Amino acid sequence: MSHRVSSFSLSSPNVPAAVWPALWCLLLVACIWGFPYAEGVLRMLEPDAKEVVYHRASLASLLGHHLLVVSVAALITIVGGMLAAIAVTRERGRDFLPLVAQVASLGQTFPPVAVLALAVPALGFGTLPIIVALVLYGTLPIVRNTLGGLQEVDKEVKSSAIAMGMTPWQVLRQVELPLAAPVILAGVRTSITINISTAAIGATVGARNLGDPIIAGIVNGNMAYIVQGALTIALLALTVDSLFERLQELLRSRLSTA
Amino acid sequence: MSLLEALPRPQVSWRQWQPNSVLIFLACAMLAAIWLFDVVSVAPNRIVSGEGAGLIDAVGWLGALLVTSVIVTLVALALQPSRHGYQVALVGVLLLLLLMPFGLMVASNRLISGDTPGARLNMGMAYWCLLSFLLLCWVELRLRLVLLRRWTILLVLAVGLVWSLCATLGLEALALGQEFRARDAQFWRALREHITLVVVSVAISIGLGLSLTLLMRRYSKLQKSAFAILNFLQTIPSIALFGLMLGPLAWLAAQWPLLSQLGVSGIGWAPALIALVAYSLLPMVRNTYIALEQVSPDTLEAARGMGMRNSQRFWQVRLPLALPVLLEGVRITTVQAIGLTAVAALIGAGGLGSFIFQGLGQAAMDMVLLGALPILMLALMADAGLGALADVLRPRSDTARPGEIE
Repeated sequence: MSHRVSSFSLSSPNVPAAVWPALWCLLLVACIWGFPYAEGVLRMLEPDAKEVVYHRASLASLLGHHLLVVSVAALITIVGGMLAAIAVTRERGRDFLPLVAQVASLGQTFPPVAVLALAVPALGFGTLPIIVALVLYGTLPIVRNTLGGLQEVDKEVKSSAIAMGMTPWQVLRQVELPLAAPVILAGVRTSITINISTAAIGATVGARNLGDPIIAGIVNGNMAYIVQGALTIALLALTVDSLFERLQELLRSRLSTA
Repeated sequence: MSLLEALPRPQVSWRQWQPNSVLIFLACAMLAAIWLFDVVSVAPNRIVSGEGAGLIDAVGWLGALLVTSVIVTLVALALQPSRHGYQVALVGVLLLLLLMPFGLMVASNRLISGDTPGARLNMGMAYWCLLSFLLLCWVELRLRLVLLRRWTILLVLAVGLVWSLCATLGLEALALGQEFRARDAQFWRALREHITLVVVSVAISIGLGLSLTLLMRRYSKLQKSAFAILNFLQTIPSIALFGLMLGPLAWLAAQWPLLSQLGVSGIGWAPALIALVAYSLLPMVRNTYIALEQVSPDTLEAARGMGMRNSQRFWQVRLPLALPVLLEGVRITTVQAIGLTAVAALIGAGGLGSFIFQGLGQAAMDMVLLGALPILMLALMADAGLGALADVLRPRSDTARPGEIE
């Protein structure tokens, strides 16, 4: 389930890269705001249905819930994953390095749905199992990439930093982390993009989020509901992903000029 | 040699003592888990959540003593690690793995009386913790001992055989087994559907991916836009893509009766297959592209010098050399497809995911497990199998795995 960053992007050289996040975000807001008024268009999809506009909850509140769950999970995963990876690359934690690296790469093979499904029996229905499943699953790409990034830092560079009189903490903060930042950021992007998608599946275990209209639409055979949920969630994913792409570009240009 | 290594180091005697802290940590975690949490739980029927039972209630003093002493032995071995000690520790871990199903049998005899035939035995928190920590120990020992792949496979098979024998012979009360026996025909059909969907979608994406890559190599203008579109597709959440497939396919099936006679409709295998292929194309094309590009130009030049024609050079030199990286793409795609097919159950494509979503709908957790565990095992098996195949096909000198770190 790896979602690697590649250098190919939608943006062509004559369009500034900042346009894409703004464009997706604008479309997202237009969807949230516009669907309740777009009954005519939605009616064309489902001429016979009783209702075509999703009324059980406003899309804005669903979006808020979705973002809340994903950001709480992201916060925990980023802090936890990076701390774990930093800990096992220090002198004292080095014993744990092979095990953690192996588990992080093995864990990538676990399907998110299976992780979500296994979290429910242990934790019950609702928002909590979703957050736990997202944390479990999202930590792995971050651990893996932080490990990879830190290990790629040249040994000579670290030695010269120590020789300059830097403390281990300074080496970590001023040398290792900045050099590993692009790889770590790629891991964060993977983790969050997957989590936005997985959180939507969480609607099946009783969490209220953007997956709701899709599930309701599939259950009732109402295409209009599906379109509302699917478009909103796709636009959310594209907005966040393009934001990260922009962030990576900024980081790359800063690193190359520094 | 760096400056640091040349500096004299203070030698303190207790510094020389290097226990294996990983094994000690894992063993202590196991001890804490089995003594603090419930090992099993017994429920009178399918929906009611069970009543937990601790280690002593479940397997008695003797069993508890046995398990604890094996784990304590692991700690003792980890204090003074040696190759021999690791081998003994591996035997200990295997012993525990083999004892676990017998523990369940003992627990079902002790806790379930004959007059409650429908009672179900569930594995508790401690049981799952013990299992996962044991697997972590296994991974650690395998890394320390540098076990060969064939030994690993053999031992895993042996443990799996004992577990399945126990499950069929002496564990009528186990909830997962009861759930399976209640719908075994359904289970095998779901498994078949799942595997068929994965295999067909991966096969299609190999074919499409290879031809797209060849087109991209011929018309380089295509490359940028093709990758952009594939990246774009990958970003859309799976549930959204599956949902969006419903409408157009339902419309197509309504327009052309021939299609609906073939079984194409908004619900079912057709939208699932299209979405799966759409998702599979990016990892497939990316790895195929990298694989074909990384073949060294010198080798190709040598092939030309030997008088090979263009097509010969492609089929006899470039493709075989690219095969390991190409297989890496197939591995990523397959593992991803196994997980996504589970989501496809939501749009009526069947497969093991249907157990997950039905179970979630009925709040029947055993049914959820019946879907989720085989999916997990399928993914792990596909990953290990295709990884091994790629290793076998890899040329000896080239051990680098491109695309390993994102």
